[in-house]
Amino acid sequence: MEIGVLRRDGRTDPFFDGTASDRLVIKRCEACDRWFAPDAAGCPECGEEDLGWAQASGAATLVTWTVLPKDPPAFLALVELAEGPWLHARLDGAARADLREGLPLGVAFEHPDEGESYILFRPWTE
Amino acid sequence: MGTSRGTSIAGLGMTELGRVYGRSPRRLAADAVRLAAADAGLALGDLDGLLVSHGMGGSPGIELAGTLGLRDLRLLSQVNAFGATAGAMVSYAASAVLSGTATTVACVFADAPLKPKQSAGSAYNRDAREWYGFGGMTAALGLRSVNSYYALAAQRHMARYGTTSEQLGAIAVATREWASRNPLAQMRDPITLADHQNSRWVSEPLHLLDCCLVSNGAIAVIVTSDDRARDLARPPVHLWGWGQGHPGHRKERGSEFGLTTGAASSGATAMKMAGITPSDVDVCELYDCYTYTVLVSLEDYGFCAKGEGGAFAASGALGPGGSLPTNTGGGQLSAYYMWGMTPLSEAVIQARGDGGERQAPSSDVILVSGNGGILDHHSTLIVSPHRKGA
Repeated sequence: MEIGVLRRDGRTDPFFDGTASDRLVIKRCEACDRWFAPDAAGCPECGEEDLGWAQASGAATLVTWTVLPKDPPAFLALVELAEGPWLHARLDGAARADLREGLPLGVAFEHPDEGESYILFRPWTE
Repeated sequence: MGTSRGTSIAGLGMTELGRVYGRSPRRLAADAVRLAAADAGLALGDLDGLLVSHGMGGSPGIELAGTLGLRDLRLLSQVNAFGATAGAMVSYAASAVLSGTATTVACVFADAPLKPKQSAGSAYNRDAREWYGFGGMTAALGLRSVNSYYALAAQRHMARYGTTSEQLGAIAVATREWASRNPLAQMRDPITLADHQNSRWVSEPLHLLDCCLVSNGAIAVIVTSDDRARDLARPPVHLWGWGQGHPGHRKERGSEFGLTTGAASSGATAMKMAGITPSDVDVCELYDCYTYTVLVSLEDYGFCAKGEGGAFAASGALGPGGSLPTNTGGGQLSAYYMWGMTPLSEAVIQARGDGGERQAPSSDVILVSGNGGILDHHSTLIVSPHRKGA
């Protein structure tokens, strides 16, 4: 499936600065010690609207998944980062037989010729 | 006979539904309101309230009042809770009648996403060469359709509770069996479980026959007091209870996304108001954007235990002759997709006994659901041909 070209929207630049240098940078509320997805609008605990950015470990687990009937099939998922937030994501290197709740995953960074770098998640192997 | 404090649906108006071209959503909405008023035996000038809702196209809004030439309205608003809107509109109309804000309120939904020579699926799909920001990345990577978001929800239920595609298929088959008896339904040819299993994948675990139709058209209802409804043209469909549920599942560790929905709280609120329990419900008209939505709603309403929706559906309970006739007109899966007006319109038809070949054997208490967003918003109505407590 054609992924197309990714552009910045001015609201998530630290995320794309991170992917360009192989770092997963997401939002974080220091006061509440809570982590959020890169497009979170604020902290629902304390109401803070200007969340900071911080580097996540890149470790995750599989929550649920769907497979699009493309050639090759596209494995799409909800993943739970070790820090707690869920991200809608695309899996790479996964087979149907691997898919289960809690499957350990690790982030991978893709650097296309044109447009911003993006992330995929791969089954975690030691 | 003394006065009561109840409210009823007194009129139902439905335009042609499906591949209906040449009329804008506003025109369709105006036609549906006229039909609903005529059905009730009312003149347009008898309306003193209008609640309007629209689909993804953003029209109609409150300018519909001008289109209809309505004057001196005492209630006029656009309502939006996505697929939960129809139930919400009716509850706001009933509350307005009970408070004296207005006496006779039309509630209407219209949409026309289908264009000539366009596939139904492409009416809602997104595609682009360039994508913007983090949300754009999610879409670029493949999550471009609501189908995939519901597939994620359904898959989670399957992984957690052992729900199967065949159990979802039982819902599709039962719903089509009802549709085969409904002259208003877009899809009337019976299907088998094998047809469901062999239909193409839209987004695993959802087959094509797990997904609703896309339709153009409009549907309106008229809400008024029981006392006024009694004197109008059609038998009143009494509103016994209503509720909403917006669970606000966060996308983070511990979320119940895909496992429980707002049907749990909205159903409890509506059934308490109505003074009933699930065992009192004769007929369910459930929002069936997907077969899975029916399954999880049945669990959350308490018609079966959590995790047992699949076995309940596969038992044959939902189809003709089953213990809980559900989506008796063919629902959104097989009849027509008018958001929350699909289940509501069929509930009015069943409560009046107008179901013809598909009339349920008993329709004294009917539960109507609405579901919006990705299981984010839920509404419930309990309706009956009888006065509450009578």
